[in-house]
Amino acid sequence: MNPVVGVAAFAAVSLATAVIGFYGLRISRTTGDFYVASRTVRPWWNASAIGGEYLSAASFLGVAGLILLSGTDALWFPVGYTAGYLMLLLFVAAPLRRSGAYTIPDFTEARLDSRVVRSVTSVVVVMVGWLYIVPQLHGAALAIRITTGLPAWVGMVAVVAVVCVTVVAGGMRSITFVQAFQYWLKLTALAVPILFIVFVLADSGTPPVAEASVNPTGAAPAGMYQNISLLVALLFGTLGLPHVLVRFYTNPDGQSARRTTLIVLGLLSVFYLFPTAYGLVGRMFAPQLAQSGQSDALVLLLPGELVGGTAGDLLSALVVAGAFAAFLSTTSGLVVSLAGVISQDLFGGSVKGFRRAAVISALVPLGLASMTGSLALAGSVGMVFAFTASTLCPVLLLGIWWRGLTDAGAIAGMATGAVFCGGAMVAGALLGAGGTPSWLAQPAAWTVPAAFAVMVLVSRATRTRVPRGITRLMTRLHTPERPLVTER
Amino acid sequence: MTRVRVTAPRTILPGSGALPAVRSAADSRDAAEESDAGQVFVRSLIRSQLRLAVVVAAGFLLILVAFPLMLGLVPGLAESTIVGLPFNWVLLGAGIYPVIGLSAWLYIRTAARNEARYRDLVGDK
Repeated sequence: MNPVVGVAAFAAVSLATAVIGFYGLRISRTTGDFYVASRTVRPWWNASAIGGEYLSAASFLGVAGLILLSGTDALWFPVGYTAGYLMLLLFVAAPLRRSGAYTIPDFTEARLDSRVVRSVTSVVVVMVGWLYIVPQLHGAALAIRITTGLPAWVGMVAVVAVVCVTVVAGGMRSITFVQAFQYWLKLTALAVPILFIVFVLADSGTPPVAEASVNPTGAAPAGMYQNISLLVALLFGTLGLPHVLVRFYTNPDGQSARRTTLIVLGLLSVFYLFPTAYGLVGRMFAPQLAQSGQSDALVLLLPGELVGGTAGDLLSALVVAGAFAAFLSTTSGLVVSLAGVISQDLFGGSVKGFRRAAVISALVPLGLASMTGSLALAGSVGMVFAFTASTLCPVLLLGIWWRGLTDAGAIAGMATGAVFCGGAMVAGALLGAGGTPSWLAQPAAWTVPAAFAVMVLVSRATRTRVPRGITRLMTRLHTPERPLVTER
Repeated sequence: MTRVRVTAPRTILPGSGALPAVRSAADSRDAAEESDAGQVFVRSLIRSQLRLAVVVAAGFLLILVAFPLMLGLVPGLAESTIVGLPFNWVLLGAGIYPVIGLSAWLYIRTAARNEARYRDLVGDK
């Protein structure tokens, strides 16, 4: 691929991000602006921003790559990523907004009346955030290497630098505009090339080289256990993701939090049709891309492979721009939410502390990413979902719906989930992709129930520790806002 | 270092000048909600919202499971094509999304109705 294409696309996306970020700077002034955009972002903006932030390297590159490799088994990834939002809507969206807390640690501290729970939750949130940023940086490394031939670290450093500049400059308000822009950029960047490719293929009457049902590498199909476990991770992992949850605080009230989620579901459903189409076209017309071990680059390579020429270069530039938008938006969303958590716990919640925390939250995963190699992007993000589903999801679900949850139960449950799921991740990394049994490769099916069980049992055993203000808190979480607010 | 707790006031919008009056109205509703009678309504609201969420989630999961089962059990269905595309790809890759959207829409409508009923019961205008 023409290296100028990659560099130009990255520069254009970074510039657009910075311009929108600085535009946001003029209207974000107070601490509240910095953290959650003063809670007055309109549902359409907010939904586009949530979509922009959520659609990461795993969705933009990884899903199509996995579909190319494993066919219909991989279709569970986009379905799970979307259905996770349904679970979020059903069980978490409105009560969490009504809790009035800004971050997940704020919520657990208020709900369980315990500083220790707050610290434990903060640690888990920061771990999840860092684990989630690492695959984004791997994606950036892959994209830079494939499109420009530059060394892989250039991509990681460039993404971290742009994210630090935009977040430090503008906080959440400017990030909201940037993210909303990036959703539509990502959608266009996937939709236009694939529609063009399909049009060219249909026009020239090119016959498919392979059947859609044949795995190009001859890999065995996933078993029933793996598919179920993956779905558990994706369905329950979404509702604990820190960068997704912080978005709900920018809604004015619980009702609009629900409306926002409905729009997000629509935006995600439309978006995921396109990676699926890339995967299907890849399997039928360019299965050789799977054999070179670069299936994650399918989306980037397909336009050049099937169209070629100047048109191919232009389409490639568009997908590269979309890919960088994906790395930038997810990373900056995670950095904002991590910085919110870190700065409140360590730096007293000031604007300056937020900026310092933002730089820390971006640099640590850069170190992690440069030390580790890239696995399949959608797969490694799937593991983060499993981790979230085994730690933050039980504490949120039980905290919102069950009066009996205690601080001891929450801590024991989160620790159980973190140890089991973290252990499975480490064991999987040590054993390698070939030697890992499926119950370790996809641990969610047993780690999530284990975390729930421990949380419930320990809470029952320590039932005298149920906070005294529980009645008032449950009332606040579940009753509609005062008419003054809802009639806006 | 002192911790500053950053939470916006829940009931008052920035710039709305009617602070004291709103406060006392909110306090009186708090008091009403925390009385034994008020808690009966609150508990029944929470129960109906949870029941609704579980029913919608279960219904969606049933449909989700039914899709691959249908492909596995009906002979020839997975191999058939629809407008030139393999049927199993269309079903799993596109057909599930409308189900998700429909479930979400049903949930939001019913959840809002539950809340409206609660408002009527506690006498919010």
